[in-house]
Amino acid sequence: MQRFRADGFDEFVAARWSALLHVARLLTGGDRQRAEDLVQESLVKLWFAWPKVAEQAPEAYVRQVLVRLAARSARRRWWGERPVGELPDRPGPGDVSAAVAERSRLEAALALLTPRQRAAVVLRYYEDLPEGQVAQALGCPVGTARSHASRGVARLREILSDSARPVK
Amino acid sequence: MDDFERELTRMMREGRAHTPFAPGHRARLYDGIRVRRRTRVLVRAGGSALAVAGLSVGLAFLPQLGSGPAPADLPLPATGSTAPPRSGGPTGTAEPSTSAPPTSSSDSSTPGGDSPVGTTEPATTDAGSTASGSASDTTESGTSEPGHDGTPTYPPPGG
Repeated sequence: MQRFRADGFDEFVAARWSALLHVARLLTGGDRQRAEDLVQESLVKLWFAWPKVAEQAPEAYVRQVLVRLAARSARRRWWGERPVGELPDRPGPGDVSAAVAERSRLEAALALLTPRQRAAVVLRYYEDLPEGQVAQALGCPVGTARSHASRGVARLREILSDSARPVK
Repeated sequence: MDDFERELTRMMREGRAHTPFAPGHRARLYDGIRVRRRTRVLVRAGGSALAVAGLSVGLAFLPQLGSGPAPADLPLPATGSTAPPRSGGPTGTAEPSTSAPPTSSSDSSTPGGDSPVGTTEPATTDAGSTASGSASDTTESGTSEPGHDGTPTYPPPGG
């Protein structure tokens, strides 16, 4: 029964684990531990819905769960997320590689957005989803999703204005 | 999409590192599934127990609720039920009133109000008729209903 129920689940998880983890990391503003927790929780939910969604769109389902869990987890106080004026843990010039420094800068900037703005920006620019699907994942009207994305990008532009130059 | 947005997309995609789905991840995932399944079973069992408890409490109180209000309604049916048949009896409303005074009390109150004739007088006559049980007496003393309520008023006219 269980074997039949989870038929194809392991393959899906193995194939999508890395991508889901990266999305979760962007959604959490670079918090790797929390990202893993979110992916884990989303996949547990997916497992229970697997018989229904396996033939349709499991990735869309798990993405939607992930976005909502990320938004919910960001509201918890104990995650310790708080907006600050200056970007935290800005890497030093020579202590890490350029790619890691750039990623850290991006994640730190994303962490300063609201959870919904962050989710809208990630889904729109990283996942390259159309506005309708972004709105569906966020559970809001298309206009609201568009507004979240544009405000998020404006805020990122502001934050990264001094470091938008590509780091090579 | 302007330059900054393109740059943003590039930064997001370039930072992606491949993380394999390790056996440790798998074990942790299936542990989570097991815990979740157990929690679901417990929640369902608890919900069923609560539902059964609620139903049994409701059923235990239902009989008491049904028997309680019946005696309190006794006076009302008597007044309303007889009124329609005496006044004109356009419909068969008289039957329920005479057959079951206590039960028809609630029903008769509304028909009594509908009757065009003086509603107060018939209502009182019915009460008297149901109490005495003789229809002839009530017809003669149609206005003497007050006498039923207060005995002193009836004797003076009779002499």
